[in-house]
Amino acid sequence: MSAQGCPGSRAMQFEAEEMRLRRRAGAATAESPTGAVPSQLRQWPVQLHLVPPTAPYFKGADVLLTADCVAYALGGFHGQHLKGKALAIACPKLDQGQEVYVEKVRAWIDEAEINTLTVMTMQVPCCGGLLAMAQRAAELATRKVPMKSLVVSIQGEIIREEWIGA
Amino acid sequence: MTEILDRNIKDLIAEHPGVGELLENEGIACVSCQAGTCRTRDIIEVHGLSAQRERAVLARIAALVDPGRKVEIPMLPRASPALPGAPLSPPLRMLVDEHAQIKRWLALVAPIAAALRRGEAGAVEAARSGVEFLRGYADSFHHAKEEDTLFPCFDPGLEIVRSMRAEHETARGRVREVVAALEQGDGERAAAGLEAHRDLLSEHIRKEDEILFPWMDRTLGTSAVGRLYGSFVSIESGAAGRPAELCASIAALSLANGPPFAIMQAAEGARGWPL
Repeated sequence: MSAQGCPGSRAMQFEAEEMRLRRRAGAATAESPTGAVPSQLRQWPVQLHLVPPTAPYFKGADVLLTADCVAYALGGFHGQHLKGKALAIACPKLDQGQEVYVEKVRAWIDEAEINTLTVMTMQVPCCGGLLAMAQRAAELATRKVPMKSLVVSIQGEIIREEWIGA
Repeated sequence: MTEILDRNIKDLIAEHPGVGELLENEGIACVSCQAGTCRTRDIIEVHGLSAQRERAVLARIAALVDPGRKVEIPMLPRASPALPGAPLSPPLRMLVDEHAQIKRWLALVAPIAAALRRGEAGAVEAARSGVEFLRGYADSFHHAKEEDTLFPCFDPGLEIVRSMRAEHETARGRVREVVAALEQGDGERAAAGLEAHRDLLSEHIRKEDEILFPWMDRTLGTSAVGRLYGSFVSIESGAAGRPAELCASIAALSLANGPPFAIMQAAEGARGWPL
């Protein structure tokens, strides 16, 4: 571990992406107007410990499994990623009792017969465990579904997006 | 510029041959494409050029078509940014893997054609095995997935999709010619037919693997990829092992016919035929 500590919990400060882009474009620094953005959430609960894997909203669904911090980092999370999908969130570093997570994801694949699984994580190393957990579950499942990984930077950009098999 | 973008590329190349040369230098093989009925704007989008490269190519095309005139180059809308080297989605990966099986047959065409011309024993049987593979695997299994399941995910009027369907039909016609030649005992005609089919399919597969499938992947949404994958899995379940049998028959061809075929295959492989 470096003297600066784990990147996942290292304190940092940076300007909002909008300000950075406007500064690059030489635009005036006045903030752009904001308005209500409709929520794309269509279920409750969302925490992976609490969601029943065979809930109706998972049946045949495109499922989005995200690390807790993703929705806060990504400005367009609802419209660009959540829309049309069933959701579960988890923290691979801080959640307790994660041994049940693999079985829940396997049940999505085999019993709920989900259509696809998209895993969104932050770029920090401690987030990698969420994708690894999903991949273990996929190996245990008898069905195969297309699985996609998206990695989000702490400045809110998608820095990697790839299909990781079925 | 809009007029240039909406022009059929073959017509544009016929009027301005420099455009064909320009596209060839960019790795866009419209000059040699069998159909070539795509619009200029579709070609730019399908080949996934970066925004910078796209503007450079369009500017050079405009300069060739209308030299001396200042033309505003538009930013063409894109389905999604091109991700060079990004792995294909699972269903399209399945199709690419099937192409690899088909290319194993294509690598056998040269030695089998040579044997047909020499009237060697076993050559006709080898050719018939190849035809069975082409009809049962390449066409009924693989092309059917593309035509019945993949292509309907896109606008049927899209020129690139129509072009690929047209090449499938041409390929079927060439197989029929080979069958007729074999039935008539015309080894030379059968050999020529196999070679013509090989040349067509080699280029067709290259276009799909390198251009069409990556573009389709950029265009398909996550949900569509899932449904496509599920459809392909169902098709494979329904095929009940027959595709694997046909692939095994091609693998056995080079072994069953002994040294002459093995030597010729190695020689043809060295010349760069698809393996």
